[in-house]
Amino acid sequence: MLAQQFINAISLGGVYALFALGFTLTFGVLGIVNLAHGAVFMLGAYSALQAVILLRLPLTAAILAAIVITGAAGWLLDKLIFAPLRARDAPHLAPMIATIGLAICLNSSVEGFFGAQNLRFPVEALPTETLSLGGIRITWLELQIVLLAFVLMGILMWCLKQTRIGRALRGLAESPKAAALLGIDVEGLFRLTSVLASLLGGVAGVLIALYTNAVFPLMGQPMLHKGIAVVILGGMGDIRGALLGGFFLGFAEVFSVAYVGSTMRDAVAFGLLFAILLLRPDGLFGKAAQRRA
Amino acid sequence: MKLKQSILSAILGIGFLYGNVDAADIKIGIAAALTGNAAQYGLPIRKGFELAAGEINVRGGVNGNRLELIIEDEQGRKEEGINVFKKLIFQNKVMMLFGPTLSNSAQASDPVAQAAKTVVFGTSNTADGITSIGDYVFRNSVTERDILPITLKIAAQNTGLKKVAVIYGNDDIFTKSGYDNFKKALRDLKIPVATTETFAKGDVSFKPQLTNIRASNPDAVVLSALVAEGAPIMVQARQLGITLPFIGGNGMNSPRVFELAKGSSDNLWVGSPWSVESPAPENKRFIAAYLKAHGTMPDQFAAQAYDAMYIAAQALKTIKPTGKLEADRKALRDALPAMQWNGATGPFKFRQIVGRNGKPAGYDAVQTAIVMMTQANRYVIKN
Amino acid sequence: MEWLDNFWATYSTLVLSVGTNVLLALSIYLTLACGLLTVANAAFMAIGAYTAALLTLQTGTPFLLALSLGALLPALIAMLIGRPTLRLSGVYLAMATLAFGEVVRILILNAEDLTGGALGLNGIAQLTTGFDVAFALIGTLYVLLRFAGSRIGRTMAAIRQDEIATELMGLNVRAYKLFAFVLGAALAGLAGALNAHFTFFVSPNEYGFERAVEILAMGVLGGTGSPWGAVLGGVVVTLLPELLRGFGHYRPLINGVVLIVIIIYSPKGIWDLTRFMRRHAGKPAVN
Repeated sequence: MLAQQFINAISLGGVYALFALGFTLTFGVLGIVNLAHGAVFMLGAYSALQAVILLRLPLTAAILAAIVITGAAGWLLDKLIFAPLRARDAPHLAPMIATIGLAICLNSSVEGFFGAQNLRFPVEALPTETLSLGGIRITWLELQIVLLAFVLMGILMWCLKQTRIGRALRGLAESPKAAALLGIDVEGLFRLTSVLASLLGGVAGVLIALYTNAVFPLMGQPMLHKGIAVVILGGMGDIRGALLGGFFLGFAEVFSVAYVGSTMRDAVAFGLLFAILLLRPDGLFGKAAQRRA
Repeated sequence: MKLKQSILSAILGIGFLYGNVDAADIKIGIAAALTGNAAQYGLPIRKGFELAAGEINVRGGVNGNRLELIIEDEQGRKEEGINVFKKLIFQNKVMMLFGPTLSNSAQASDPVAQAAKTVVFGTSNTADGITSIGDYVFRNSVTERDILPITLKIAAQNTGLKKVAVIYGNDDIFTKSGYDNFKKALRDLKIPVATTETFAKGDVSFKPQLTNIRASNPDAVVLSALVAEGAPIMVQARQLGITLPFIGGNGMNSPRVFELAKGSSDNLWVGSPWSVESPAPENKRFIAAYLKAHGTMPDQFAAQAYDAMYIAAQALKTIKPTGKLEADRKALRDALPAMQWNGATGPFKFRQIVGRNGKPAGYDAVQTAIVMMTQANRYVIKN
Repeated sequence: MEWLDNFWATYSTLVLSVGTNVLLALSIYLTLACGLLTVANAAFMAIGAYTAALLTLQTGTPFLLALSLGALLPALIAMLIGRPTLRLSGVYLAMATLAFGEVVRILILNAEDLTGGALGLNGIAQLTTGFDVAFALIGTLYVLLRFAGSRIGRTMAAIRQDEIATELMGLNVRAYKLFAFVLGAALAGLAGALNAHFTFFVSPNEYGFERAVEILAMGVLGGTGSPWGAVLGGVVVTLLPELLRGFGHYRPLINGVVLIVIIIYSPKGIWDLTRFMRRHAGKPAVN
């Protein structure tokens, strides 16, 4: 049983990490706690679902559709909401409140359009193979999620280190003013980040919708909840931290179910988070990034 | 102020007179969750009410009076439920109310109706502690306390199970209440529990809990969940190689389980007062009418709402409206307990229960449970 | 007078909700004014609500005493966790307090024998009157407005601007922050206790993430420059859904849009908009 729980933990950790990647990117570069990330995640899932059902596209094309739609959403998010707030030199909590409003809009629009009940991907679209190794079972889809989380993290880290845009983003994250003075297209980069973070959320949405086989308007909310914990654990704005935090939370949850009892699972997870924050105020791997209220 | 008041009274008076010239519409309030997470239950409920009221009105209404439905969205939130109840009772001055959708909301809003001496008739509240609020509270949703023991007994007989594992949602009043009733029924039937696991709404993975269950070697898994979580639980259980039968509560009685748990939906036992497979002519008529009006198959929520409207209409037929709202509301409350009906959910009557303080309180449903097992995308009746 | 009776019968719950929500907004204003982003107020509200409700349900404690204890217990807990927690700052403080809130909610959920667990507490007596809420509000506003103009208020504003400089000036920053946190907790607890006694029923799920975010939204939307901002925020957030009722199915959508529009056009909160009026009236623009 221990082995199976170990696999369960890795699989769950992969899910959390995938969601947290986009979320942490928005905070790291834009300095915004994007409480609409759950809604964008949900948007990705619905986009792919409709692509499969209405347009009868194969799964890979559907994922591309999700990427396009959530990327566009990210673009709009920055253009219509974040940019005006930057121009007005808004206090840094203001964008977060705007994302709350946006989440409400997205959730209720989708609910109005598609209904509140759970939808699912048609069976033909699902990769359902299960691998079985001596009593341990993992589905091919779970493996893909974990692999994708690592791959995406790897790509992002590489880009940030090696490409010009990546270095510009890192400079931007350190100090927007200095970056502007250096001639970096600050606005353009902010917009790019928003697009990137949103489409990461969208991809996470599709994959996790396939994993749970449940697509419903509020599906992003519990993920957002956990996502916040993951990003804090790993350090806000830290890409590697999103993965490490995700796996940490996955293990904490699974093993508290296995050995403490499922009723106390969330108490253990959040209790750990609380304790870790008191001992290491910047998260397990965080930098000394401080922001005033 | 005095002038305004007298003008207002004049207008009201004229309106009252005018209103009384034609046959008076009977205003019936409906508080349902039409947006938000609970809308997936509230919307079929609304459709069931509308279907029934439409049929009744087409046939001449109640003693010639049309039923007028005043429908408000309580969003599945308790504060909104209270606000909506107050609006319907005091502003719209309805004769009686149906709803709210969730047991949680009912706990908060039914006392409002009780205090205002207006009948509140729940069609989807199955948790404890609702009809005990007072003698103006009615429901035709059979409680899990009544159904689960029967489900367990029939399932046990058919599968020969010796011990079970239990998994339930511990953060939702409906699933928690279901668990309490399962626990009691298991104890009464002397079935030992190998392990008890919990999950929370919105959980993505149930495999940690299911792995524990697998390791405890039960003969069946008792599941107190709504379809939204219940279906993924079944799917993930099959993925883990758990082929055991599942025994579900009220929440799992929904044709959506075939869709949501496709390929893994077999071998689920549920008990319910209503089954889409029940061959009773009233049920077949209801299903056909619902399909024609709404284009989808009805579920248990729609069926119970449909029957509830008919039960209320029957009671309304027996009273003579005096034009005084308070007296009429009381007359309705007095007429309702004696009603019996044979509708889509089968033969029905009320049973008064004892409240918290030992005095007689509200009215629960008395109906026989139909126990079914899922097989090849159908519910097969087993008792 | 009949009109008033009828109005009260239909809308009493709404009015009382506005009152308790303003109290909650004021509780978070207090901490925001100090530069502290704490999101534990939903949890303190829960502790206050359950304490007061259990007291009146189980032991028949007189209402005012139950209210006082409902405000006191969260304050004590805030004092306990305040010292280590307030060493954090910024978003980390927010998340630590959010985590604390979750732990509280789950503890309440699991302490079934005491709190009824997911089934909640039922049949709470309707003891809150408009006078109780009004009294609590007026008292709180009076105190907070006095603070704002006094040395305490100026110190808090200084802490918010630059904590290190304030410390270097010899002021006990930690004590001020703890004071704001504990008082905020007491206010949130009081609001919870009042709220429980006009809604008949409480359950752990009402005090989770959504409630915490709602309280924060009230504080920021109204504006953190003055207690009046919190009043505005509480009123707007509570009344907006009710005013939009006519929009039926579009209600939540419009709710979201209004929030976005308000914050984009007045990022410092609604209270900031009145800055212009106050300037014209010759009064100094606060903050």
